[in-house]
Amino acid sequence: MNVAEKPVIAPESLIGQRIQKKDAPEKAAGKTRYIQDMIVPGVLHAKILRSSRVHAKIKSIDTSAAKALPGVHVVLTAADVPDQQPIGVARDHLPLKGERVRSLRDEIAAVAADSEEIAEAALRLIRVEYEDLPIVATPEDAIKPGAPLIHPVPLAADGQPKALPPKTPIAFAGKPDNIAMRFDYTHGDVAQAEAESDVVVEDTFQLHYVTHCCMGVSGVIAEFDASGNLLMYSNTQVPFLHKREFAEYLNIDPSRVRIIQPPIGGGFGSKLDIYPFEVICIFLARAAKRPVKMVFTREEEFLASPTRQPVLLTLRSGCKKDGTLTFRQVHTLHDNGAYTSWGATTPFVMMQTFSSLYRVPACDYHTTVVYTNNPYAGSFRGYGNLQATFAIEQHMDMLAEKIGMDPLNFRIKNAQDAGEVTGQGMSFKSCGFKECLTTAAERSDYRKKHADNLANRDAPGPVKRGIGMASMLHVGGGAKIYPSDGCGTILKLDDFANVTLITGASEIGQGSETVLSQLVCEELGLPISAVTVVNNDTAITPWDVGVHASRTTFIAGNSAIGAARKAKAKILAAAAKKHGCDEAMLDLRGGFVVVAETGEPVVELARLMRNLHFSDKAELVMTTFYYEPPSVHQDKGFKGDVSAAYAWATQVVEVEVDTDTGIVKMTKVTGTHDVGRVLNRLGLEGQIEGGVVMGQGYALTENLIVENGVTRNPNFRDYKLVTAPEIPEMDITFVESMDGEGPQGAKGVGEAPSICIAAAAANAIYNATGVRIFGLPFTPEAVYRALRGKAEKPNWQAWKSA
Amino acid sequence: MTAIERYAAPQSLDEALGILQQGEVTILAGGTDLMPQTKAGRVAFKPTLMNIGRVAGLKGVTLDGQHLRIGALTTISELLRDPLVAQHAPVLAEACDHFASDQIRNAGTLGGNINNASPAGDTLVPLIVLDTEVELASKPNGSVATRRMPLAEFFTGPGRTKRNANELLTAVRIPLPKPGHVARFYKFGTRPALDISTISIGIAGVMRDGTLTNTRVAFGAVAPTPVRAPRTEAALEGRRLDAGAIEAAADAARDEVNPIDDIRASAWYRKELIHNMTKRMLDHVAQA
Ligand SMILES: Cc1cc2nc3c(=O)[nH]c(=O)nc-3n(C[C@H](O)[C@H](O)[C@H](O)COP(=O)(O)OP(=O)(O)OC[C@H]3O[C@@H](n4cnc5c(N)ncnc54)[C@H](O)[C@@H]3O)c2cc1C
Repeated sequence: MNVAEKPVIAPESLIGQRIQKKDAPEKAAGKTRYIQDMIVPGVLHAKILRSSRVHAKIKSIDTSAAKALPGVHVVLTAADVPDQQPIGVARDHLPLKGERVRSLRDEIAAVAADSEEIAEAALRLIRVEYEDLPIVATPEDAIKPGAPLIHPVPLAADGQPKALPPKTPIAFAGKPDNIAMRFDYTHGDVAQAEAESDVVVEDTFQLHYVTHCCMGVSGVIAEFDASGNLLMYSNTQVPFLHKREFAEYLNIDPSRVRIIQPPIGGGFGSKLDIYPFEVICIFLARAAKRPVKMVFTREEEFLASPTRQPVLLTLRSGCKKDGTLTFRQVHTLHDNGAYTSWGATTPFVMMQTFSSLYRVPACDYHTTVVYTNNPYAGSFRGYGNLQATFAIEQHMDMLAEKIGMDPLNFRIKNAQDAGEVTGQGMSFKSCGFKECLTTAAERSDYRKKHADNLANRDAPGPVKRGIGMASMLHVGGGAKIYPSDGCGTILKLDDFANVTLITGASEIGQGSETVLSQLVCEELGLPISAVTVVNNDTAITPWDVGVHASRTTFIAGNSAIGAARKAKAKILAAAAKKHGCDEAMLDLRGGFVVVAETGEPVVELARLMRNLHFSDKAELVMTTFYYEPPSVHQDKGFKGDVSAAYAWATQVVEVEVDTDTGIVKMTKVTGTHDVGRVLNRLGLEGQIEGGVVMGQGYALTENLIVENGVTRNPNFRDYKLVTAPEIPEMDITFVESMDGEGPQGAKGVGEAPSICIAAAAANAIYNATGVRIFGLPFTPEAVYRALRGKAEKPNWQAWKSA
Repeated sequence: MTAIERYAAPQSLDEALGILQQGEVTILAGGTDLMPQTKAGRVAFKPTLMNIGRVAGLKGVTLDGQHLRIGALTTISELLRDPLVAQHAPVLAEACDHFASDQIRNAGTLGGNINNASPAGDTLVPLIVLDTEVELASKPNGSVATRRMPLAEFFTGPGRTKRNANELLTAVRIPLPKPGHVARFYKFGTRPALDISTISIGIAGVMRDGTLTNTRVAFGAVAPTPVRAPRTEAALEGRRLDAGAIEAAADAARDEVNPIDDIRASAWYRKELIHNMTKRMLDHVAQA
């Protein structure tokens, strides 16, 4: 382009624009190649034989017929991999089970064969003899004295506990009871605060099993090269953590493990842990000396991928007549399932909501996580916050009603403000909570509708209308759980001024490629189309802790901006030198170096890049940056400012309850989110809308039915996701609190939109009918039973003392 | 699962009946029941798989004297859009509007829904209250023989009917409605589409001067087959449809059904739904 054609270039900003996701055309056209579509030459197909008993000793496994089947290459059982190491948060889980199965999902044997069909046929030929053990089906049963133990301490020949070296993992050393973990947190004096309360309420809430239902089921391909280096194609959300862990299991140097992520069909937290199938696939590849691919069936995905953490929760809350909150006391019982994954650690997030969503002078929080023979829970968008918010926001309405205060005013009175440091040590540098409350209330006409619905409760007609609100606090600037919560970026500008953005941040459909490109282009004055993102290969991308905790836009965004600013400085310095001007006066706009004040072009960026590259003093514009957020680890008492920023939201839900059937129809959701700043408006709206629907499923329809250790509905016919006609009208608005640390002022929002819906729906059902329901989901029969006074009240006395 | 040894796609009824007569045949129409059932191992293929999709004359809706005749291969989508169905049997179209999703409706056929004989099959209850007959054809000794039977008597259990192995269901016949004819259908699922009925209710009759006669009531998903409800019908027949009659009929309905507990609903809740929704439907009929 001729410089003379473009006299001045006005500043333009991409921030807040509606930008189409970079991967949208491929996905819409059905061209995206997921792991299911990948063809690796010479690949074998693997299947896993899972337990047919909920809790049993394995007496024998006979694989001879399976091994003899033509087309079968490898059959493995625990006996074939004596070196296997336990996986999981508590190192209590051996990938292949040799002596004992503890849940129906348990892996007993694995086959690699020429085709999936042959592998399946081989599984049918494997004979397993079991000796049944008593089933521990509920956490209440698991903590009873004398309950059967899920991980009993192994005994030596003399009947005494085996002598084992200290720090032997639970998988080998067992546990003397069924308690997997405990969490205890306190600030303030709860007894005193209760004594000062005018009103106290206490209730027990029951939160059920749901699962992620990613469109793309779990899958992995493992392959060793001739030198013994491991290459994995994996859907993981944490490639760098996995690289290290797999190396540990194989006892090889981490540099010999390379993980490539094909496009991932949804994560939502389900791919944060290492699972047996991944390790088993590696074992098979090692034994077969061939690449091995394992992809779940949908049924397997329901049975053997993690769930959201089910929780039994007792909350005691108090306030004064003037509406000041005084204390909260929380006891929860977490059903850990048979093995420990991230679900067990949801108290980290739950206690933040109890201690810090509202100003509360005293808070006492206790969780006991217990082993059962049920499926085990992993991390899931919201990470315990849906459960905590369900309880706390119902209590906010109940306390307000008891003291005769408007529920909105009651919340505003106790809501956090910017500048506050909570009892748990969280420091709110930006906080749009009150604005979220008032905006969502005004836009939904909350006060008037709330009053009208109350007045109409007893009017004739079976259908009652209700409105309810709930708010949430969630980390919005990463979460310092690992030694580093950082992310690295490499940025390269080529000789046509096109950018390659090499980032550690993983894309799982959330739109990170687009928003990161946008942040880079904002610095470099280029169109989004100028950026190619490379983000899926541990041999290329710099380190990142993983895609979780709503952190990617914030952490990887700051990292990308850091690298882009270094590139910009280098470019402007080169331009200034070449054109004899002061670099402080220059800027990048529309593909040109311009004079900042006038917009007058100095040189086309592509031309400048070529000049730099192709000279005897060749210079490449290639920069790196590592961003570490200014957050801190919690101390032993769970106190500390773990996130660089915190996100807020208020959601108002409107329902119609058919009292003849119990059907709850969600008619409208009005949501206001403090997102710091809107970056990609389209992506943000998509994230919120999808999250609301996920929250709606949690509230109304989704229910993984586990009875006596058996998952009864491992299919989409009986596990009911929300379908299109059920999706409510949505009114979504944003509060821009311009977080000082956030990229362009933005905060994380990935998990936020799912968190409030169930709690707000509970309040709406109460507004409509005068009936409070303490357990989820609000399926028609459950609601109908509650309306007829036949709801089963969760019973907590049995366990609270444990 | 038995392996399929032979695939047949006959073009004429004669040819299809000939193949059936040889025995050991699995009939495939839209496949929306058959494929999931065989994949899950609940149904085994017979050695011959016969796709009836190309058999001429099995599709479409026609007037046949005082009857509406619907070919077995007519899809749920076609029923939903058909003008004759809309005019003479709108309650059937209503049932189709709550049936599965567009993809399934485009493939699934009326004959498949009937022969699958699920107590929750959504066209069955409305067809029963419309006094529908099924038409079965066979070729026992070289020539085509046809017999008819009321749909209400066709089902013998879940997945079981009175169809003989050598018979093909060719069509259903619905008598054209008399003046004053009313019919209502209600399906309870936990969501508006893509759900198997927890219960369903069909009510039909002739309304004159506020009184219901020729009363037909049928329920789905409360017994091993879709069932007529004689005691509920008796509570309504010839009575003025006032609040008292409606309440008595709803009570009779609740007492008459004998549903089971399963993962979709408890028996108690199913009975409550039968009572409440029978009442609501009758209220609507009375007000119309
Ligand atoms: C996702 C999904 C959702 C569904 N939702 C619903 C729903 O909401 N309501 C509902 O009622 N059903 C539902 N179904 C079930 C199914 O779609 C219907 O029963 C459909 O009408 C079956 O028709 P088809 O042509 O696909 O039958 P097929 O699967 O081809 O056949 C079903 C059975 O009937 C036999 N058969 C078919 N035609 C004839 C004939 N002419 N003579 C003799 N035997 C015959 C077959 O041998 C087989 O045993 C659903 C199915 C799926 C997969």
